[in-house]
Amino acid sequence: MSYKKEDLKIYWSKINYAFPILNDTIFSDCGNAEYEEIQQIIVGLGIQIKIRDLVLLHIEKYLRQHVAPSFWSKFVKVEEDEKGFQLFKSAVNDLYDAVANFSGMLQRLTILNNSCNDSKPIYAEKDVISGFKQLVRATLLSQLPLDFQVIIESFYKVSFNVFDNEYDKEDMGEDVTCSGCLNECSDCNCMYIVKVFHETNKKLMELQLLERLTGQVLTNFIQMRIESHIQKLCNGTFDKSHIGFLETWLDTTVMSWLTRIYCGGSSKPSPDDKNTLNAILKFKQKLSYFLYHSYTKLRIDELFNIIIEYPDSQPAVDDIKICLEKTDLRSTLCKNLQSALETRLLHPGVNTPDILTAYVTTIRALRHLDPSGVILETVTKPVRNYLRNRDDTVRSVVSSLTEEGAGSELAEELVKFAAETDGDSDKDEAWDEWNPDPVDADPTVDSSDRRANDIISMLVNVYGSKELFVNEYRTLLADRLLAQNAINTEKEIRYLELLKLRFGESQLHYCEVMLKDISDSKRINALIQQDKEIEILNKKFTSNAMILSAQFWPPFKDESLELPEQIKRHFEAYTKSFEGLKGNRTLSWKPHLGNVNIEIEIGDKKLDLTVSPFNATMIMYFQDKPEWSIDELHQVMKVPVTVLRRKITYWQSMGLITEKTTDHFVLVDGSDGNKPNVASNQVQEMICEDDETESVMASAHDQREGELQVFWSYIVGMLTNLDSLPLDRIHQMLKMFASQAPGTECSLQELRQFLDTKVRTHQLVLQGGMYKLPKT
Amino acid sequence: MKVTVKSWTGVATWRWVANDDNCGICRMPFDSCCPDCKLPGDDCPLVWGACSHCFHIHCIVKWLHSQPQQQCPMCRQDWKFNNK
Repeated sequence: MSYKKEDLKIYWSKINYAFPILNDTIFSDCGNAEYEEIQQIIVGLGIQIKIRDLVLLHIEKYLRQHVAPSFWSKFVKVEEDEKGFQLFKSAVNDLYDAVANFSGMLQRLTILNNSCNDSKPIYAEKDVISGFKQLVRATLLSQLPLDFQVIIESFYKVSFNVFDNEYDKEDMGEDVTCSGCLNECSDCNCMYIVKVFHETNKKLMELQLLERLTGQVLTNFIQMRIESHIQKLCNGTFDKSHIGFLETWLDTTVMSWLTRIYCGGSSKPSPDDKNTLNAILKFKQKLSYFLYHSYTKLRIDELFNIIIEYPDSQPAVDDIKICLEKTDLRSTLCKNLQSALETRLLHPGVNTPDILTAYVTTIRALRHLDPSGVILETVTKPVRNYLRNRDDTVRSVVSSLTEEGAGSELAEELVKFAAETDGDSDKDEAWDEWNPDPVDADPTVDSSDRRANDIISMLVNVYGSKELFVNEYRTLLADRLLAQNAINTEKEIRYLELLKLRFGESQLHYCEVMLKDISDSKRINALIQQDKEIEILNKKFTSNAMILSAQFWPPFKDESLELPEQIKRHFEAYTKSFEGLKGNRTLSWKPHLGNVNIEIEIGDKKLDLTVSPFNATMIMYFQDKPEWSIDELHQVMKVPVTVLRRKITYWQSMGLITEKTTDHFVLVDGSDGNKPNVASNQVQEMICEDDETESVMASAHDQREGELQVFWSYIVGMLTNLDSLPLDRIHQMLKMFASQAPGTECSLQELRQFLDTKVRTHQLVLQGGMYKLPKT
Repeated sequence: MKVTVKSWTGVATWRWVANDDNCGICRMPFDSCCPDCKLPGDDCPLVWGACSHCFHIHCIVKWLHSQPQQQCPMCRQDWKFNNK
């Protein structure tokens, strides 16, 4: 078959007419009828495949050289959102128009393609139209400029402002500017923006470019929105659960934005548009995860405050509990809370009772959050370690255990424990409710242990031994019993019973005897007061006594004090009377203990004071003689000079005694006027308090020292036989020989301290790590 | 200046007037109680024998019950309560 050259030329120009793209233009008024003819020609020539491929090639080139660059050329960085909005709009419009211009040609190409019958995929798509769309997308995205998102962002920002505004119209108030488009209300162009927005989105959707181009920006944008919304709604309010509100907010407000974007303005997607529905659904899943994630994050950052406010903040804790199941933030929570505790709680500026309160609420809140106790265990480890290093921890715990009234949660806890132990011994384990431990649990710890620990035992466990606690309680009780005249024994007995439930009968036996001593002494006191001789003496002043069973009280601080004669006479008579009352028993007085009610007349002023025997004695001596040197006082009172110097400050602060020259004290007589009294009022309170809070009991440290003294004879024996020994050998040998004696669990540390004190007092010599007895 | 003492509350510890510190039977201090007792003093008193040895009353009674002859565990003399 041969064609004339002219014919071919005509055919080619006709083909060019039908597919102007071959000449790099897209406009042609080729109608359907005309194309029929051209199609005939092409098929007749049998070149349909070649023509098709050629046309496609040219379309591709055209898109690459013209459409895409002109689209992207609009994407320049602009400062104002408004400009960006316009630019994006016009870019999308132009693109849409450009693409639409192809439609006639594409129709013809479809016919051409159908005649090819080779079922070759066009740009990996089945038909020409979708192939073309694919091509447009691919071309566009292949030329993506770096900062294309700037404009898209400004576009959405403007539109979201408008949308936002639609949802909270009420609070627009008297503003002159429309908060949606930031124009003045008079020429608000919200409506225009909304219209343009929807149109643009619709076009993008049609081009299937919406997700590709704007997905990232949109997601970022919505996430930002969610975050700021959460911040606004939830920050600092812990007494309400927010999860529900947030979910409805996401479902209504956010999702309706999205649906509108995806569906080009209508608020409901058409039910048969599977693609859109799917896209929306996926988006929603992502967003709701994000919602939970950011909410949890916010809460974790505030967890310390939430804990401090617990149980008022219980709704917040509930929220976290729900969120933790949906997000993977457990370890973040542990880490953050731990560091929050460390920075906010565990430093020297915080009082021990405050730390304890925080620790208790932490236990409670985390118990609620995670009943398995794993988080609690991890998080509070540093707190426990820190508390162990504080000297007054035990004291604080014990005093808050026994404190009454407000703020003593521990006391309540103690009562609660007593109530609980009554009933639930037969709590069977519900096997069908069993859950494995969380992954971060310590496998060496029995999970039931972790669950069972209650607050008090967790506090006690800070130290790891009940004994220390009980001892501290004993000391505190002793202080209280001696300090107060009219002690509420009933209350103390009640607490003792509660403590007994927890710590066991035997541990608290001593305290029981102590309380009984107090009530017994009241009785004995009453009996002795009837004694004739005492009655005579009591005409001057009443003398009472507390009679203690020394074996059961904690050791007293050893202090000497020589009482004035008249007091001694009283005590002697009292002793005699006691001996008469209780055969074969006698009393040994602790002169420095107790309290004295005195009245001081100075000038025309009367002071009624309750002071320690020491202070009473001192002022009585000053009554006899107005001037004393410290040595003289030492002579009559038999008190060490250092103690005298320290304690005389009490009267100095009262303004009754002044130090004339060093170590020489003079009574300030009332004739000088009452100036000193007035000036010292505040000081007096301070000092008095100081005086009272000082424990009369030997400190725990002293007690321990005494216990270690048991070892001393062993150590001396060892060293005489073996000449010199290192520390750990001594420790080992002591373990071997002296382990039967009571209170002999002695750590290496303690032993070292003990031996060091011996070195300091020259009873031992330390040479090259070996302990030796000094040569005599 | 005049100081008047209105009342003086002293603190004293009681102890048994005995010639030893510890009970020869239970080896507990006299001022404490025997192992069977909880409260010292009136509830767990001391007794003196004619031989002048003294014990917690519960201790010596227990001892005497377990022995065929009534002897002081310290000096093996016949045990007699000394009611002084």
